[in-house]
Amino acid sequence: MVFLQPQLRNLVVLAVLMATCITAILTLSPYPLLVLSLVGIWAMLGLSWNILGGYGGLVSFGHAAFFGGGAFTVAILFHDYGVSPWIGCVLGAVVGGLLAVVIGAVTFRLKGHYFSLAMLAYPLALIPVFTWAGWSEVALPLQRTNPIAYMQFSDARIMPAITMVALLGCLFVCLFIERTRLGMQLYAIRQNELAAQCAGIATMRVKLVASLISGAMAGLAGALYAVVVLVVTPGSVFGMLVSSQALIVSMFGGLGTAWGPLIGALILVPMAEILNAGLGARLPGVQGVVFGLAIMAVILVRPQGLFWAVRDHVASRRPALPVMPSVALQAAPAAPAKPPGDVLLTVEGISVRFGGLHALSDVSLEVRRGEILGIIGPNGAGKTTLFNVLNGIVGTTSGAARLGDARLTGLSPQEVSALGVARTFQTVRAFPRLSLVENVLVGAFGAHRSDRAALEAAWVTVRRVGLQDRALVPASLLTSRELRLMELARALAGNPTLILMDESFAGLSTADVDGMIAQIRQLAAEGVTVAIIEHTMGAMVRLADRFVVLDGGRNLASGLPDQVVRDPRVISAYLGKRWVEHAGT
Amino acid sequence: MLALEGIDVRYGGLQALRGVSLHVAAGEFIAVIGPNGAGKTTLFKAISGVVPLTAGSITFEGQEIGALRAAARPHRGIAHVPEGRQVFGDLTVEENLLLGTEALAGRGTAARNVERAFDLFPILAERRKQQAGALSGGQQQMLAIGRGLASSPRLLMLDEPSMGLAPTIVDDIFEAVHRLNRQEGLTVLIVEQRAIEAIEICDRGYVLSTGAVTLQGTRAELLADTTLREAYLGA
Amino acid sequence: MNWSEHGEQILQVLSAGLLLGCLYGLMCAGLGLIFGIMRVINFAQGEFMMLAMYAGLNGVALLSPGRAWAFPVAMGVAVIVALLFYGMGAATHYLLISRVSGARALGSLDGGHTGQLILTLGLSLVLQNGGLMLFGSSPTSISNAAADTSWMLDMTDDITLFLNQARLWSAVMATAAVGLTLLLMARTGVGRRLRAVASNPVAALYMGVDVERSFRTAFGIGLALTAVAGVCVATFYPFQPYTGFDFVIIMYAGVVLGGMGSVGGAFLGGLLIGLVQQLSTLVLPPQLQNTAVFVVFLLVLLARPQGLLGRSVERA
Repeated sequence: MVFLQPQLRNLVVLAVLMATCITAILTLSPYPLLVLSLVGIWAMLGLSWNILGGYGGLVSFGHAAFFGGGAFTVAILFHDYGVSPWIGCVLGAVVGGLLAVVIGAVTFRLKGHYFSLAMLAYPLALIPVFTWAGWSEVALPLQRTNPIAYMQFSDARIMPAITMVALLGCLFVCLFIERTRLGMQLYAIRQNELAAQCAGIATMRVKLVASLISGAMAGLAGALYAVVVLVVTPGSVFGMLVSSQALIVSMFGGLGTAWGPLIGALILVPMAEILNAGLGARLPGVQGVVFGLAIMAVILVRPQGLFWAVRDHVASRRPALPVMPSVALQAAPAAPAKPPGDVLLTVEGISVRFGGLHALSDVSLEVRRGEILGIIGPNGAGKTTLFNVLNGIVGTTSGAARLGDARLTGLSPQEVSALGVARTFQTVRAFPRLSLVENVLVGAFGAHRSDRAALEAAWVTVRRVGLQDRALVPASLLTSRELRLMELARALAGNPTLILMDESFAGLSTADVDGMIAQIRQLAAEGVTVAIIEHTMGAMVRLADRFVVLDGGRNLASGLPDQVVRDPRVISAYLGKRWVEHAGT
Repeated sequence: MLALEGIDVRYGGLQALRGVSLHVAAGEFIAVIGPNGAGKTTLFKAISGVVPLTAGSITFEGQEIGALRAAARPHRGIAHVPEGRQVFGDLTVEENLLLGTEALAGRGTAARNVERAFDLFPILAERRKQQAGALSGGQQQMLAIGRGLASSPRLLMLDEPSMGLAPTIVDDIFEAVHRLNRQEGLTVLIVEQRAIEAIEICDRGYVLSTGAVTLQGTRAELLADTTLREAYLGA
Repeated sequence: MNWSEHGEQILQVLSAGLLLGCLYGLMCAGLGLIFGIMRVINFAQGEFMMLAMYAGLNGVALLSPGRAWAFPVAMGVAVIVALLFYGMGAATHYLLISRVSGARALGSLDGGHTGQLILTLGLSLVLQNGGLMLFGSSPTSISNAAADTSWMLDMTDDITLFLNQARLWSAVMATAAVGLTLLLMARTGVGRRLRAVASNPVAALYMGVDVERSFRTAFGIGLALTAVAGVCVATFYPFQPYTGFDFVIIMYAGVVLGGMGSVGGAFLGGLLIGLVQQLSTLVLPPQLQNTAVFVVFLLVLLARPQGLLGRSVERA
């Protein structure tokens, strides 16, 4: 369990690191001290990359833009305007942050490799511009009077110390992110952005906040780099090698954890420097080869990176703790038929067209408060499309839906979630390394402003679905049934009035199915309204209060389950028209 | 010709097929029906080798093929007409059929098989140079079947050929396949959600529900069975 | 500047753009073919081209009797290098690329795109810097007589167009190479198989097509095309181990502009990029000619990611 927990282990590691740094700074000679500064700078760049790429899954090939922005801010301010690098570094971070927000706002609409390629272009585009603008080489002038005010120290130990302090600060920030809402929301976006939106997460805002922090960190790293190397050229700070190093250091060391870039920088930077110093004359470029081979090896063998590889290895060696399976809920006795409540959801004449395909034609239905409505129909009937419309994922060609008095169609997934509609998805994607309750947490962010309240809500929901004994188990160890309940809990965590469940029973054993049915009935008794799409008809017949049947995108029938399954029109839809003639049911 | 014994398939942490056993003799027309999510497509994917077996064996013409890689199975004579047609949208109708002849393995000649497909479905001949992606659903299904037949297969497997098609077109297609079975002795294995069309033309059938065979029998037996409705509608 | 001088300048720049564009088009065609068939973005494409340039250099040094013959020999060497790089491509795919793409990558979170991008990024770093170690950093090129001579085309009394021989013949070679590839794709069984795999790899598998082998072939052809481009460019453009980097944005811009799915589209995209780059020198200082390319690249990605000729961005 990581969320909001003060991580004693982290503090201990940080303390040890600080102690090691201090010892190193006090004992090493000037050249290794320089390398130490560089380790710190590249580690910071890696941490910055990791915020977007590791936590958020937004693989950027252009972090050099922010790094270079910071470097040139310091250099130009000092060289052209005499502004001290102390101020320059702060401004460098600001420039980096702002650049990242602007670039992000424009580029986040792209997905996958298109995003990565676009990010590639930004820093590379800046190189010829800076060269043409006259900044092909900007040197930080030597200050004879009052050098300390301009970050020029005769003592070779000061710069490494400053860099280490900055690094520690960045580490703190990243560890903080991992433990709070921003980190969880980034994980959710990385895993399934659509589901995150349906859970009420304002994905664009989250990405921009992450960009701001990432860019600022990279800008700071670049600024410090300028102070350390004293000469800035467009190629050296905007170039491909910088963007690559940001990525490589993180992915080699461990993707998605603050320790990863640290480990990566600690191993790769000194190795490259030593090789460069020793062999650089005879084998120029050995640094690039080292980085290249390192990342290739990692991707082929352990794509998650060193940190996770070692941790998994250690964990597998430890004797496995006995895993206590949770007690399956007894099949609930058939609940007495409840009088239907007032109408909660109205769907009127909804049609959806995708190009030439009529996915839905004039579909209407009602869902009453507190009932369990089963939406059934043969393959391709448009059931999932209907849910997508209700969720705001897909727009309608005509028709409308209302939840109580509020209009439901034409809203974004986040707005729909805010109205109290939750959705489960067919493929449960969990954060494998996080505990069950932390997985559920993602669903609570939309409805709860504070982290504490969200966590409380998550615990309450976990208890509601009967999984409190398994709350701290990492999701990778959960059974199929528990994962399905977890998905349901995620949807419940936001206290919705209506839950849209999409095929939660597929592949479950009979005992598990019984348990799920009991669970959902329990929820309905507590006042939650459920609309469920399901193909496992045996389960549906026992679960649903009412059926609505769709066929070929149209309404076919509706009514009590026992009646609907005997309705000749429904039987024809499933088994074929002539079946009814043959069987004469 | 084809024998499946105790097939288990597990993927994505779920048991998709449980102990499924099935036999198809040469010249038979076998139907596998069942509700959505029963595992019918998984069954075909297991036979085609696209999905690995967790347990059990598949024997084709006396040879164990469980370990044979997917790309090699069509060459042995198993043609798979996949769910959703899956034509090569960017290629012409003729090129699609030629692709079907990749797995001939000497059982026939490419040119002749392409012409036979055009004889079977004349509407394809009219559109031989058109891009397959521009055809209607029914025409694409005919193309997919023609493509399957182009390799002169010993066993033709059809995965939900009726999906998304109008009933009259489905009848035409089923009639064509039925004729191939009766007149040329082509062994056919068909998976269908819409039970009646499949049962009416088959010799024997299997009912698959939540990954296991719950019912099997001859055409007459299946038509008479009242529990079939329960398998689909739960009650 | 009077009219005819303007006109001459514009025509000269246009012709430069077209000639260079043909070569960019060839580079892009290689990249585009690989992406179109395998959905793999080969980050190291530029570096393979750089290696081909050095291969061409050495080939010509070995085989050419003198400067006068250097260019025709270079064209012959280009063919040999193409075959060599086809093999190299197949081997690279077999050993490396296949492990992070195709069937093996389907389970991962993003369909394996990140994995292969990063693997080829690493490969590009290794090749670039390995090249630096092997070849040194001083720029070089294939010394040949054709690069020194230009044909003079008298368009009108006042306007004379200078067409550099090496560039002109290279452009012809490039167009021929792309044309040959398009012919291969459209008319042969191999090409049909590759197009089928590009269109629907699952269905191709059901047809008994060895999809992994098709991927290998595609990768090989893609590298071979870019290798020819490399040898051609080497006859009139100085190169060093970091040259791939000079062309990386041009290649991606061209492929994205033309539509990432097709060879022909990529060629046209590269051609357009060449024109954009050269025409921009009419209004921008020469150092910023690539900036125009970047701007076009970003505009295309943001406004119309499927490019001018491509299908929709996400393949079904």
